[in-house]
Amino acid sequence: MKKTNLREVEKRTYMSYHQDGLLDIFVGIYVLLFALGILLMTVTDFSTWFVIPAIFPAIMIPIWISAKKRITMPRIGYVKFGVRGANKLMAVFLGLVVAGLGVFMVFGLGASRGQGWAVTLRNLLISNGMIIIGIGAASISSLFAYTMGLKRLYAYGLLVLALFFTGHFTTIPFGYFLLAIGLVIIINGFVILMRFTRKYPLPQGDETNVEKSL
Amino acid sequence: MSKNPSNLKNIDRLIHEPTRLMIMTQLYVVESADFLFLQNQLQMTPGNLSSHLSKLEEAGYVEIVKEFIERKPHTALTLTKKGRDAFNGYRKNIKKVLEDTHPRELETGL
Repeated sequence: MKKTNLREVEKRTYMSYHQDGLLDIFVGIYVLLFALGILLMTVTDFSTWFVIPAIFPAIMIPIWISAKKRITMPRIGYVKFGVRGANKLMAVFLGLVVAGLGVFMVFGLGASRGQGWAVTLRNLLISNGMIIIGIGAASISSLFAYTMGLKRLYAYGLLVLALFFTGHFTTIPFGYFLLAIGLVIIINGFVILMRFTRKYPLPQGDETNVEKSL
Repeated sequence: MSKNPSNLKNIDRLIHEPTRLMIMTQLYVVESADFLFLQNQLQMTPGNLSSHLSKLEEAGYVEIVKEFIERKPHTALTLTKKGRDAFNGYRKNIKKVLEDTHPRELETGL
């Protein structure tokens, strides 16, 4: 018999709220913006393009909440998680904000002002190629996968690692690899969203008669 | 058999029913959930869920609040303090009963 413990039930409940693909779509857009920033920087030699992915989480959160309210909640219902669940979610968002700001500081502000540490770090990352970034990105993805209990984030991490590892041995610009990763994540997100809307069609009426009788 | 059969008497029969146990467990791990969420999570029919919720509400274990979220009617379900205590008590008691039951004693009839 399968052992049922409260932590498992809590995890399953939390995971059920992310089976809509919205997270994938937003993460994919985020990665695409990074790719766009890098590609535009290569073309225009203007490093402040990194402002776009840096401020994206601030714009993304209200849109994401709104999408949850319009797409997810009417289909699978509303749940308010306890403090632990909220803390997990907050940690994910803070992680995104910190990562965005970190990249902005290192590549945008630091490098453009010619600060030694920023230039050194940038040179170190560039000279060691895409493998370091691939390992870093895969680790972050795995961290999020573990925190949120979403196994598909491990797959994204592996995809990032595989593509970046390949990229290390080719001359294709870094931005194109990010572009490919972003697209794969977005497409997967839409596939999950389509499956979700099919599995959970909108209930007819606002409230069932049985629910009204309660 | 349990060494101390009186432990069985301490089991809350209202919670012990499998469906209600599932409802209590689900509500225990969240702050609150609505009717639709619980129905989807537990794969239950509205009628079945409603009847069990009514029993849990009568016992004071579950609070049912009718509210409006973005102008839409919504039935919020929360485990009360009494419900949480009862659930914790149930877990403790059932664990005690199971700990006192030794399969070897059943086999040998000791």
